[in-house]
Amino acid sequence: MTEAIETQGLTKDYGTGRGIFDLDLTVADGEVFGFLGPNGAGKTTTIRQLMGLIHPTRGSARIFGLDCDRDSVAVKRKVGYCPGELPQFGGWRGSEIVAYVAGLRGDVEDASIKALAVRLDLDLGRKYREYSHGNKQKLALVLAFMHKPLLAILDEPTTGLDPLVQQEFYAIVRDARAAGSTIFVSSHVLSEVEHICDRVGIVRDGRLATVSKLDDLVGMRAFHVEIEFADGVPTEQLRSVPGLEQLRVEDHRASGILRGSFEPLMSALVGHPVIGLVSREPSLEEIFLTYYEAKR
Amino acid sequence: MTLFRIALRQQRTGLIAMTLLGVVFGVLNALGFVQVAGTSQAERLAFARSMEILGAQLSYMLPVPEHLDTLAGYLQWRAFGSLVLILGIWGVISSTGGGRGDEERGLVEQWLSAGASRARYVTTRVLVFILVATFAIVATMVFTYVAGTSAGEPLPLAGMASIGLDLLITTLACFGIGLIVAQLVTTRRAAGFGAAGLVIALFLINGASRSSDVGPVRWLSPFYLYERSKPLTGDGALDLGAVSALTVAALVLITLAVTAFVRRDLGGTAVTRVSATSRPTTAPSRDLLLRIPVVALLRQQWLWIATWIIGLAALSAFLASIIKTVIDTLTSSATPVMRAYFERAGLSGYDSFVGAIWLSTLMLILSAYAIVQVQSWSADDAEGRFATILSAPVSRGRVILERLIALLVAVGLICAAAGAAVYLVTASQSIEVDGSKLALATVLVVLIPLAFAAIGQLLAVWRPRSALVLLSTIAVVSYFLVQFTPLFGWPEWVANLSLFSLYGMPMSGEVNWSGIAGLIGVTVVGTIGALFAVQRRDVGA
Repeated sequence: MTEAIETQGLTKDYGTGRGIFDLDLTVADGEVFGFLGPNGAGKTTTIRQLMGLIHPTRGSARIFGLDCDRDSVAVKRKVGYCPGELPQFGGWRGSEIVAYVAGLRGDVEDASIKALAVRLDLDLGRKYREYSHGNKQKLALVLAFMHKPLLAILDEPTTGLDPLVQQEFYAIVRDARAAGSTIFVSSHVLSEVEHICDRVGIVRDGRLATVSKLDDLVGMRAFHVEIEFADGVPTEQLRSVPGLEQLRVEDHRASGILRGSFEPLMSALVGHPVIGLVSREPSLEEIFLTYYEAKR
Repeated sequence: MTLFRIALRQQRTGLIAMTLLGVVFGVLNALGFVQVAGTSQAERLAFARSMEILGAQLSYMLPVPEHLDTLAGYLQWRAFGSLVLILGIWGVISSTGGGRGDEERGLVEQWLSAGASRARYVTTRVLVFILVATFAIVATMVFTYVAGTSAGEPLPLAGMASIGLDLLITTLACFGIGLIVAQLVTTRRAAGFGAAGLVIALFLINGASRSSDVGPVRWLSPFYLYERSKPLTGDGALDLGAVSALTVAALVLITLAVTAFVRRDLGGTAVTRVSATSRPTTAPSRDLLLRIPVVALLRQQWLWIATWIIGLAALSAFLASIIKTVIDTLTSSATPVMRAYFERAGLSGYDSFVGAIWLSTLMLILSAYAIVQVQSWSADDAEGRFATILSAPVSRGRVILERLIALLVAVGLICAAAGAAVYLVTASQSIEVDGSKLALATVLVVLIPLAFAAIGQLLAVWRPRSALVLLSTIAVVSYFLVQFTPLFGWPEWVANLSLFSLYGMPMSGEVNWSGIAGLIGVTVVGTIGALFAVQRRDVGA
């Protein structure tokens, strides 16, 4: 069976350690694959090579068996693309932009455009320069999905979208997948890809650190928690909570990184009046640091 | 100080280009005068008489000539008379870039959020422009003065200083016009074209005022006020009334623009208007033209192309309408020198003058059209539209070829309208023009913008950020080579380095087929180079 995406030793070397190096990656047909990494890790460079916009320094990338560099036109018949950096269309109306790109593609039904615009609540009658960042992002998603691509390559597609539209985006991805499409989506937020992905590849400093099924990454998932107690901090109970790392205690406050379930922590807090509890998702870089330190 | 450095950096290209252009223009004209005007008093007087007749007929473009038997008079007419428009356009480009372009790119928001006040930002931009314009003009004056002195034609120092000051104030008035217009629209493109159109209209009003009474509207033209002073042919003094009015106008325009910038919303206009309501829709445009290759590119620019068609047809009709008067005067028995000159140049009969006057103007303007197109192709790359196009199943080569074909069609339409206008006007004036010759010359002139576009494509692919400057340099050098090769007696191959020279003069003799082949060759080589380069380069990098 032909893989949707296959890279072998794919490298783009911008010098001084910047770029992506020796990337060996396979994405199966029909899969939703998350490509995770902190800012500057090499996600966009990889995607731009898949799209044939930049040439690899060495190695190769294939999409449905076609070379991304040599056969880029044939590749793009099968691909929908949402760029990480949005283009500028000035005074064009949204309706004119989609009509123009649809004309370039030649395989787009107007009904499909309309359905996507309705789902994303995007007014195509307005001028591009009047669009907010979120609306520009919605338009990019319409352009990526309007021809029902076999493979959608999405570079940080939820940037600027409000939570409701994000949910609609996840629904669009699920529908596309149900219709047989493969999705390759980059992000720097772990929780985002959890909504939609089967597998996740994590890239760091230009190199692929790991590729895992989502379930395997549960151990990596973490929350930064801060608890304020009415009385003293039950330090010993907290130390015994499995998955609670980097515990710091100061006056009536305790903080740390919690991996896995919240349940053991909640049990440990029973009988100790809590005034406030705040949990937030740390950045991917923080997760990385703690994850690899913990494994060392 | 940081804002100052940023503003200076933004003005760097303009400063270098305008200084070089001014210096080269001034020096070559100074040295050229000595070559062409002769050395004896009799030769000088004959030259002056001939050029004054020519100048009177070109009064729609250049000031009325005076004392053309002296280098000072010649420079005031020939060099500074046209340099003032170039400087004015520079003022417009700079002010619309600072007044709207940086805002469009989000830079102004960045600087203001870093703590700079609006007033400080915009006044810094104004002050830096005054500084760089002063530098460019002073350099032009100094080098021209030195060239004149070294050629044994010392120029009046006070007069040079005065005309430099006059040029500076006029440039600032045009800068002010650009800055005002930039406060009234939301894009740099609209500001640039609006302000440039306004400045050119004011230039033409002044041109019209030289030969007819246009009424008090002439006082609105900074070029009219500029020309009230003739420091190089008089006693070196400026017309204080005109210079004061020009200074006040520049100050008022700039102050109004600064105030408008401080008071208006960022990204908005000074005159708040309710935006034209568009009907909400979720459907794509039904305009089928947007979906057809090549036609889509023309459709996107239809208003722009229509403006060019109408504008050039009108200009062509105007040039054709004055040809008879110009030629009758120049070839009259009262000016044997000019008649002999034209005979040497192979100009005889009205149709050959149609070629010399109309086609040479058309070539220049069409090359400017091509340069503007190349700039928009570079912007496609920088602003992510090229990557969007390539994310569709479209080859890079197709994009290059489609652009060239669209340019060919647009230029073809413009030339057809201009040629038809010339044919109709000359026919109405009973000027015998060989229709087939005119048609062939009109078709062949299309090769000029096409060659510029092909080179421009290569430059836009190879060095997108420098393409505009490099292509403009090629155009300016081409223009200078045509102008100065006969003047300095340079070998013919030097002139043939100019794209304009390759076109030849198809209306006044045989078509220069080897030159035409050269133009086609340049187009083919440029296109193949662009096709090759675009395959190799990283898009958006």
